[in-house]
Amino acid sequence: MFNAETLMVLIPALPLAATLFVGLFGFVLLKQRSHIPVIAALVASFVFSLFLLREVTRETAREEGYASVGVEKLVRLWTWADIEDAYRQGEDGEGVERPFDIDVTLRADPLTAIMLSMVTFISTLVAIYAVGYMHGDPGYPRFFAYVSLFVFSMTMLVSVSNFVLLYVFWEAVGLCSYLLIGYWYEKPEAAAAGKKAFLVNRVGDFGFALGLFLIWTTYGTLNFHDVGADGALLSAAAEANDEVAIRGVLGQSRLHDPAKSYVGGGVGLAICLCLLAGACGKSAQFPLHVWLPDAMEGPTPVSALIHAATMVTAGVYMCTRCTPLFAASPEAQAAVAVVGGFTALLAGLIALTQNDLKRVMAYSTVSQLGYMFLAVGTGLLTGIGAGMFHLFTHAFFKALLFLASGSVMHAMGGNCDMLRFSGLRRIMPWTHGTFLAGALALCGVFPFAGFYSKDAILAAVHDRGHHDFVLLAGSSLEFSLYETLYYAGMFTAFLTAIYTFRAFFMTFYGDTRVPPEAGHHAHESPPSMIGPLVILAGFALLVGMAANYYGFVNFLHHTPSLAFSGLPAGSHDEAAHAQVEGLSTILALSGIGIAAFLYLGERRQLEKLSLWMRAAKLYEVSFYKLSFNKFFIDPIYNALIVAPLRLLANASYWCDQKLVDGLVNFSGRMPRLFGAMLRPLQNGLLQFYALAMMLGLVVLIGTLLMWPAS
Amino acid sequence: MDEVQLLERFLMVGALLFGIGLVGFLSRRNMIVMFLAAEMMLQGISVSLVGWGRFHNDWGGQILVIFILAVAACEAAIALALVLMLFHRSGKLDVAVWQSIRESNQPKFVDQQLPEEPAAVEHWPVLPQSGVEPELPVEEMIHRSHV
Repeated sequence: MFNAETLMVLIPALPLAATLFVGLFGFVLLKQRSHIPVIAALVASFVFSLFLLREVTRETAREEGYASVGVEKLVRLWTWADIEDAYRQGEDGEGVERPFDIDVTLRADPLTAIMLSMVTFISTLVAIYAVGYMHGDPGYPRFFAYVSLFVFSMTMLVSVSNFVLLYVFWEAVGLCSYLLIGYWYEKPEAAAAGKKAFLVNRVGDFGFALGLFLIWTTYGTLNFHDVGADGALLSAAAEANDEVAIRGVLGQSRLHDPAKSYVGGGVGLAICLCLLAGACGKSAQFPLHVWLPDAMEGPTPVSALIHAATMVTAGVYMCTRCTPLFAASPEAQAAVAVVGGFTALLAGLIALTQNDLKRVMAYSTVSQLGYMFLAVGTGLLTGIGAGMFHLFTHAFFKALLFLASGSVMHAMGGNCDMLRFSGLRRIMPWTHGTFLAGALALCGVFPFAGFYSKDAILAAVHDRGHHDFVLLAGSSLEFSLYETLYYAGMFTAFLTAIYTFRAFFMTFYGDTRVPPEAGHHAHESPPSMIGPLVILAGFALLVGMAANYYGFVNFLHHTPSLAFSGLPAGSHDEAAHAQVEGLSTILALSGIGIAAFLYLGERRQLEKLSLWMRAAKLYEVSFYKLSFNKFFIDPIYNALIVAPLRLLANASYWCDQKLVDGLVNFSGRMPRLFGAMLRPLQNGLLQFYALAMMLGLVVLIGTLLMWPAS
Repeated sequence: MDEVQLLERFLMVGALLFGIGLVGFLSRRNMIVMFLAAEMMLQGISVSLVGWGRFHNDWGGQILVIFILAVAACEAAIALALVLMLFHRSGKLDVAVWQSIRESNQPKFVDQQLPEEPAAVEHWPVLPQSGVEPELPVEEMIHRSHV
């Protein structure tokens, strides 16, 4: 119907058009019908994404004929900035001048096509769900305008072909998340959570910006693609012998010879760590993960959107896109893996003891994102593919879990404290069933989606930890590091099963209890909410099998960033992987078993356990308390960072108010002071004025007479 | 009497008229009197103009005075009309009534009132009682109508 270029433009353009339309006419014209244009635009975007995916798939099948690395399609919309001789490198005498140009260029390759399909699909379902969830909200049009803007930003983020534009839409996604998390801005918690998300992201974005500066000075351009001498775009399909004027950071000419083109060493490490800082902020990894659980204050569809499809995946996407940069610096890759593995473990431990249903899900998201980083950090094709695969499947089942939690919350009158309700399976059978599908997928039970993706990650980390499998040179320290991370990942899989099913049993089993806020309408949610849940449950069950990990990785392998020759492929050792899969399945099942043992039925074991802990005085000092208080990370940040900054801000405020403003106000008061001295002269009495006039006359004449006659 | 002496007397009369007018203008608060005083100053100037005209043997001075008289007549008509309007507004000819063009936070000028003199104690003559005490009409005094 359309060619690939048109599709690439239409996919982001439609949500943008919907945003503008709803933003302009939502409150005036559409009101409670505001979802119609947004859903129409998202559905169309999704359909176009599928067309684009088909186009890209065709290209990959044809690719063998080209002498290019991977498959990419580029379409240049306009040139945003074009500065001649922006960069001069004159240290060694020979001056190198480079133009700084920002082409607004969209790209399509397997990575982008998969991200686009996933983002638009999840967003469509979330928008449909939100019709029921947000029904009757006074800000209904505003909500849908924001959602649409969010989708536009995310589709642009994965489509652009320039680091500056990536940064722009990176920020745009952050802005949208701020707007949506603080959507109920009358609630102080929601406003604070929005602000926190924005500020924590800002910390990461600062690192990202520094990374961009370093890339610019190191590589001399910020474009992903190569640009020809006449300014023409050179994509993978172009002739190999074309003159390349500016070699893009992730362009064909560099990828043809990655060993010589990418800077390793200190500079490479610095670039990668800066990028990692940005990714940590956006994808809620360890030092900067604190914003994501607080982001639960937003409406639940927003949580699903942020956690599953749009925002948090940006960091993983960026790390995957920059694989050639990371490949040049093994230390940076190890850092990515360590951050990911540590975050996965930490968030899994915190999630064990949280009592808020959505908060458990939030920490689970942090934990699963940690998995993705761990996978990307292996630096193997199978690992990165597994990370992207997990991102893909996780989007479905995490969206499902969030939407199901939202359904529970909707029925419980906005309450999601698991201590206050239980046994909901009788009231909400559909929610119960779909939640179960999501939970099984999250735990990685065969044949649900999470099984395939999580095991692929663990297998890749396992391979990376053993010299025999990857045939990589490297210190034994490096291998043992990855081996440790493998065990951490395994343990996290175990924890995942426990906390997921703890939440599941606490919510849906036991005596039926409903908090008083729910009133008499503790009922199953409307069809517009159940429909997306059922669709997502189907996907959570099937997508792992249907998408087929090896096929997925093969397809992804055609992405230029992942197709270059320097990327180690990883192994496909079936026996070793079966071992990994068996171990993780056993762990998942035993985790579910422990959760059932403790939380199912009368919960006698739990009481015994807590009594025993109290008796042994373990309760107060135990791990439980540490986990329940999220390892005290928020108070530590408050004391170490927030409080000094606030002190500084107050001092600056005082200086501004008292010193600077004082001076200005003083000079402003001077005329009034003089005026106050002269004011009594204006007393309104005619005689006084006449007298003054006369005295003046006397003075004048007197002066005239006394003046020495010349 | 030579010309110089004549000029001096002209000027003296003019200065006297101007001075009296000035003093009157500054010391009186009745608007009509103030107007008269202002006219008097004008005439003082006119007299000195005539004197100088004569001294220089030049008709210019007198011509100017004729103009001044004409203008003063117009001015008198307008000024008296204004005074009349102001009188209608306030019922007083006091110029201090109209002091609202002063600065907004300046105190209003209020005439100082003379302290009130203590009322003299009146001593009425007291006459000694004499003669027969008349009988009071008690019946009439305690009578109440039955209405």
